[in-house]
Formats: sequence, structure tokens, C-alpha cells
Amino acid sequence: MRLPPFRLEEPQSVPEAVEILARPDGEARVIAGGTALVPTLRLGLVRPARLVSLHGIPELRSLRVEGQVLEVGATVTMAALARHYATRGDWPLLARAAASVATPAVRSTATVGGNLCYGEAASDLAPALLCLEAQVRVGDSVGERVVPITEFFKGFYETAVEAGEIATGLRVPAVPREARTGYVRFCPRSAEDKPLVGVAALLVQDAARRVTELRLGLGGAAPTPMRARGAEAAARGQELTDAAIGAVAEAAASEAEPLSDLMGSADYRREMIRVWVRRLLAALRDGRAIP
Amino acid sequence: MLDFTLNGRPCRTEAPVHWTVLDLLRDGLALHGTKYGCGEGACGTCTVLLDGEPVRACLVLAAHVRGRAVTTVEGLEQDGEADRLQSAFLHAGAVQCGFCTPGMLLAARALLAADPSPTEERVREALAGNLCRCTGYTKIVKAVLAASVAR
Repeated sequence: MRLPPFRLEEPQSVPEAVEILARPDGEARVIAGGTALVPTLRLGLVRPARLVSLHGIPELRSLRVEGQVLEVGATVTMAALARHYATRGDWPLLARAAASVATPAVRSTATVGGNLCYGEAASDLAPALLCLEAQVRVGDSVGERVVPITEFFKGFYETAVEAGEIATGLRVPAVPREARTGYVRFCPRSAEDKPLVGVAALLVQDAARRVTELRLGLGGAAPTPMRARGAEAAARGQELTDAAIGAVAEAAASEAEPLSDLMGSADYRREMIRVWVRRLLAALRDGRAIP
Repeated sequence: MLDFTLNGRPCRTEAPVHWTVLDLLRDGLALHGTKYGCGEGACGTCTVLLDGEPVRACLVLAAHVRGRAVTTVEGLEQDGEADRLQSAFLHAGAVQCGFCTPGMLLAARALLAADPSPTEERVREALAGNLCRCTGYTKIVKAVLAASVAR
């Protein structure tokens, strides 16, 4: 089945892309990998007159470490992010999340910017980025603004990227040296699916094994990816006994606001959040392999 | 005008901008080895290699292969003969109805290029998302292992 016709614009720079987007010339959508947009076009869910491709903009493909910060261009693919030496070495949580997305032939094409701008609540990347307190670079005709990832997801498939703007990349700060991190995703059907729920955690304990910091990112737990702030607060200062972990998992489940859909009911999602927060925290506490 | 490398040879063609790589291969260039399955990137049968990496031909715009190298199942044979991987599929009985085979072959080709001696687990990971509705996975995995270089 063919895609419905559209015009394709192929700008060579971000300012040019922004200028083309702003033209009063019919609805325009940004396309990078296309792994989310192309099926949406084929199903007729969106009918833009124009697609603005980011493929011809070399700086958006750049992936590098600057100082202590991982700078990820918007069109870096999941595969490139997952296999880069810096991600694997110093941001293993991000590498694991990127390697969890869909299948090899999708990861080779799907981009970081596309994943974020699609605004999928069950994104694999988002919980990890929420834990890492990443910032999203958003460009427009005037210049660039930086949006903390915790303020990026605005609602159901809605992000902070406004009309006329393009997400151009991500800044991911260094992971605290003593932190343990992990990501688990639960797929009741098949592993290639988007997860029913995903849980990312960053855990710092002091010498007495009390929690000095816990960051908990959840996917599929609300209309948007979310930080479980209540659960994080419940963990602070605690020694992570099984009972304490149970209380943190309970807090995460109760602050989640999951939706019901064909993959699972809200109640089932809430229960799976409880289970997977508990399993992930126990594994991080014990230094065991992530389940 | 769209210039790219197709199965090792320069290809100059034209395609409407709303065509995907799959439209271009099947309808523009009459290469029917690459199959249309689900049209949404879920089934894997349209998998081709783009600069050596597996991609879904149904999800990639034709315009996005400009200047790049595409390999389809038609590009696997060597001097008119089935290559090592294709022969392994034949010997292992890894082809039943055959509809998933082109995608399986290319996903496996990409794996073996990156890792000539993969473990069975790596083979299964590399083939993830290539669905075989005959459920002949065991023989497909055996075939890929047979085509790999012994450890």
C-alpha cells in the first residue's frame, strides 16, 4: 500500500529547516528515521502536505562527549547510541535503554529525536533520560532553547516542541560515579513490542548502605513518561531492606496514573509497576544482573 | 533523479517522493525478492541492508537512500550461485513457504558481517522482529549458525 502523496523538503541546515516549516504552504511534519511517522501516514492518521527531512543536516547526526556531557544529535539512531563506546562505558543505562527499542532493523533507523518528539508514554528511552536528567535542545528561527527532560513531556503524545520548532539534540550529564543504574521493561506479548511498563532507576547509597539518592523513571505508567517523585522521597535515607523496597514500589504504583488500552488495563499496569520497581531495586541493591 | 548503489552496482532512477524503498524496489525496479508484509515495520519480511545495516524497506523513504548502498536478497548470490548463507538455509530446510526468507537472510547477513562467529543467542537477537508464520525458527537459527565461522 502506497503512502498518500506529500511533498518532500530536504533542508541542509537547522535554520533552513525551521524556515521551511514556517512557510504557510500546507501542514508540514518533520521526518527523520520515519519508523513512527511512516506507519502513521500509511494509516491516514496524519495527512501532512509536506515532510521536512532532517537527513541532510550533518550536525544532527553527531554523537560526542564534551567535558562531562554526552551530546547526542537528534538524528543519531538507537543503534548508533547503543553501540557508541562512550554510551556503553559511561552511560550504560542509556545504552541499555536504546538497545531495548524494538528490533535491530528498527534501531538502525529510529532516531533519538524522533523517539522523544513522538511523545510515546511507553518510550524505552524516556525513563532512562528522566533518571539521567537530560536536557532537550530545541531550535527555532531565533536560536535554541534547552528544555529539561522532566518538563518535555506535556501530555498524551504531546511534547514541549512548539509549532515551528525542531528538537535538535540532547545533553546528557555525567552519571554520579557511585551510582548504580538499570532499566527493565515488561512485555507481556513479545519482546519486540513497546513495553507495557518500563522502569529505569539510578541509585546512590552511602557507606552504611542508606539511600542518598534514588531517581526512578517510569514508562507506560501515565499519559506521559514520568519520574516517580513520591517513591524517590520514600526511599531517601532508608536502608533498602525487602520491606523498604516494597514500600517504594507501592509508592510508585500508587502515584502512577496509567491508561487502559489493548495491551493492558490500568490496574494491570499499576500492578506491573509495583512488581518491576521491586525487582529492579532489589537487583541494584544486591549488585545482581538486572532481571 | 535518485542515484544510489544497488547490490554493488550504481543505480540511477526516479521515484515519486512519497515512495518508500519497498515501492522503489518492487514497483520501480521490478526486484520482487523483497516482500511486502505488514507495511508498518513489524514483520521483517521487507528487511534490506542500507550501508550494511538492516532496515525496513517499508519504513524508509526512497529519497533517503540517495548516495547510499542498498543490498537486497537478489544481491546475495555469488556468480549466479547461492551464497554460503543461502546454501545453509537450503541444507537446513530453513525455507518453508519462503515469504520471510529474504528478510531472514539479510538480517543474518548483517549479523555475520559484524560477528562471523555469533552465539545462538546473538543469532536469535539479530533475527528478532523477523516473523516466520510457518514457525520454522529452529531450522533458521541452525542455518545461520551453520553459515558462521566455527569458533
